[in-house]
Order: sequence, then C-alpha cells, then structure tokens
Amino acid sequence: MRDVMAGEWAKAWSGKAWWLPAAFGILMSFMASLGYATQGRESIAQSRTDAGAVTDDVVQAWMMMLLFASLYGAVSVAREYATGTIARSVLLSGSRTRLFSAKLIVTTAMGALYGVLAVGLAVASGWGLMAAGAGHRPVWTRETWLILLGVFVCTTLSAPWGLFIGWIVRNQIAAVGTLMGFTLLLDPGLQALFPQGAKYLMTIAMSSVYRDGKPELLSEPLALLVIAGWLAAAAFLARKLLTSRDVV
Amino acid sequence: MSENAVVSFRGVTKRFGSSTAVDDLSFDVRPGRVVGLLGRNGAGKTTSLRILLGLAAPTAGAATVFGHRYAELPGARHRIGVGMDGMAPVPGTSGRRGVAIWAKTLGLPAARVDEVLERVGLAESADRPVKGYSTGMRQRLSLAVALLTDPELLVLDEPANGLDPDGIRWLRHLLRSFADEGRTVLVSSHLLAEVEQTVDDVVIMQQTLRYAGPLSELTSDGTDRLEDRFFALAGAGKGGGPDA
Repeated sequence: MRDVMAGEWAKAWSGKAWWLPAAFGILMSFMASLGYATQGRESIAQSRTDAGAVTDDVVQAWMMMLLFASLYGAVSVAREYATGTIARSVLLSGSRTRLFSAKLIVTTAMGALYGVLAVGLAVASGWGLMAAGAGHRPVWTRETWLILLGVFVCTTLSAPWGLFIGWIVRNQIAAVGTLMGFTLLLDPGLQALFPQGAKYLMTIAMSSVYRDGKPELLSEPLALLVIAGWLAAAAFLARKLLTSRDVV
Repeated sequence: MSENAVVSFRGVTKRFGSSTAVDDLSFDVRPGRVVGLLGRNGAGKTTSLRILLGLAAPTAGAATVFGHRYAELPGARHRIGVGMDGMAPVPGTSGRRGVAIWAKTLGLPAARVDEVLERVGLAESADRPVKGYSTGMRQRLSLAVALLTDPELLVLDEPANGLDPDGIRWLRHLLRSFADEGRTVLVSSHLLAEVEQTVDDVVIMQQTLRYAGPLSELTSDGTDRLEDRFFALAGAGKGGGPDA
C-alpha cells in the first residue's frame, strides 16, 4: 500500500493538474478579497461596519479555494480516464480497492496543502489588503481565526469530495461541470428558493463551517456531520462503481 | 484447461447491450511460447485481453492467468507485464519520470527505471516530455513499463503499431528472447506478416474462435501463407480482402 501511495503522490505532482486549479483559485480569491477590502473602506468611512468585520470578509473570501480543491480532486482521477492511464493504475496497484484508498489519502493530503495555501494567503490578505484596500489595520478576533479554521477544513475536505465525483463521473469535463454546477448554481439556487432544505446540501453545509453567518444555516457541529454524511455516501457510491464497472 | 496453461479462456462471452464483442471464446496459452492473437479491427481482441486482466467483466465464462482470475492471482502486478492500446503515459511527465512513477507504485528501485529505458532504446530521449514522443516512442515507453518487473508473462495489445521497421525488428527480437528464457508472450495484432515472423502459436478470432494452435500447423510448415489461412478462417472482410 505504501508503494501505491508513493506512486500516487508522484503522480499528484505531475503535469498541471495540481497547480492550475490552485492558480485559478488564488486569482479568484484574491479578486474577491480585494473587492471586500475596497468596499470595506467606504463602509467603514460611513460607519456602516468596522475593521473587524471587514477583516473577516477579506479572510473569508479565500473559501473559494474549496471549489478549486474539489476540481483538483476530480481532475486527478478523471484525467486518468481521459488518457487511459487508469487501466495501468488499476493493474499496477494490485487491486481497485487499494488504488481507491491510495488516491483518497493522497488527494486528501493535497487538499490539506490547498487548505494551508488558502489560509496562508488569507492571513496575508488580511494584512496586505486591509492596509492597502481598506486603509485600516486588520483586526484579528476569535471569529477571524474560526473562519480561517473553517476555510482550512472545507478546502481540505473538498478535495476528496471532488475525487469521489471524479470516480463516479469518469469524465473530466462532466466532473468539472458537475462540481461547478453544484457549487455555483444548484446549491445557491436551492438555498435562495428553499433555505430550510438547502442547508443540508454539501456546499451550503460548508458555508456553516467557514462561518458565512446566514441565520438559516446549520450549527457547525451539525454541518460537519452533514458534510461527513455526503462524503460517506459519495465514497460508498464511488467505490462501488469503481469495483463493479469495467475500466474503460 | 490444460494443467500448465499460463493463460486460459473458457467460454468467454462479452456483450455490450445487444452487441456481442466476444462470443464463447476458449483457448489456452502454453508456457514459453509467443502467441499471436489475431483478428480484424473490432474482432474482440482488446476486449478479450481486458477481460483476461480483470479490467472488464465477462458476460459469461472465465479467463485465468496462472490458474487464477487476475484479481485473485497473488503478485499479479509483478508477474504480468502489460502494454495495452490506449494506455497513455502519465500526463505531463518525461519518459523517465513516467516510468519512475510506475516503478514507485511497484516498489522497485530507481535503478530499474534506467535499465528498462536502456532496454527499449529510450535512454537518450528519456528526459524529453512524452507529449513530444512519436507513436513508436510511446510504444517503446509502454513496453518499458511492462518490462519493469521482469515479468513471467507479457500481455501486449498491438505493440507494433507506430513502430518503424527498425522498431518492429527490435520488438521481434525482444519477444523472441523473452520466450527463449522460458517466459510467455500473448500479443494481439492485425499485422499478419509481422506476426508470421514472430509467433509460435496463433489464435484467430472474429468474435468467436476460428483457430488456436501452432503456426506451423496452420501454415502446413510454411507451405501456406498466414494471410491466406487467416482470410479463409476469419471470413470475408469489408475492405477488399481476398474473400471480400
């Protein structure tokens, strides 16, 4: 098993699949963070908010990295189906279950690295953008640190979530489309139409963890349970399909 | 199944919906032989090999390697070297890094990577990105991975595709020397002239089995041409073959 993990770890750092989603995530998160800082300057000047709340917004904008961590997870397996590499991965891993486990461990570790990157850049944004964009020193409160912890947890867990979607869908474009559709369209749309039910969706439950602050959201412990439930269901389905379908 | 068969197909059938890719296929591969699996495009060769390797499940029947289904064979990943058509290198790698990734997966030392790259003639171009490799170089790279574990059995799907004349000659010598060491090769191909110079035994299939046995018997010790015997057994083709 350690051999298979070593191989998967080496694969994870090959090509552009690891850095391209990260680069897009950094760009998008930075733009959002900058927007919150700039908007915060006006709001603080009009006494509609304070530097602490703006710091939280600037930091929280880095939750966008979770989408890109999930895209990384999906592409890490779907690209193997696109190139036919998956057949060799299955044969040389010894068993499909062993490959599934090795990819899960490696992808979660990569998700954690995405999480560290997100948190590191969020903290840097807090310092840099608050001064440059909002014209104030950042105010670090307990809430800010809880947001950062939530961003780390959600970004880390998004990578295996994407991986499971990749195993299930087995097509790069469809997997990426599915994740973007869930995160950017379906879940927010359902949340607007049916907030009491939508709070149990994966990405909406995650917004509880990174402390989005909407009143209808689940409590953090319950949200973590819901996330665990989604991950368990997706893992079960992904593994079942991997072990029962032909490798094409 | 004969007792010492390295590979055995017994009544293997594979259907995709209403289409039958392989129908009741049965044959054995004996140890130390180079066996050519012949058929037209779409005859079911690749599907049969995928079933043998556990990548696809048969609708009926069973295929075994060393007496076991691939998934149940102890040490299968070290005992069987595989090169399948459409099995591309790891994206974004050089030849050396791609092979090194598989060596890590197999728990093999890094020195083995250089050995196989040398053996397949890619040592000098090993550090180039594989996306710039020709089809023939990709075939050699695939063979390098197949040879990593020094396997007892090689299963190769159309390995001569894209090889230039030098490469085809090199492949022929490689497969012969492999079998001369007592190991076994099962190689699918539709290049009849090439197969005729390489294999000991022939399996001809066109969804169903048409012939399985020594090449010498099929061609009456070289009196008949393999191509003529193939068309006689595989039936009329659509592309202007002799029986078409």
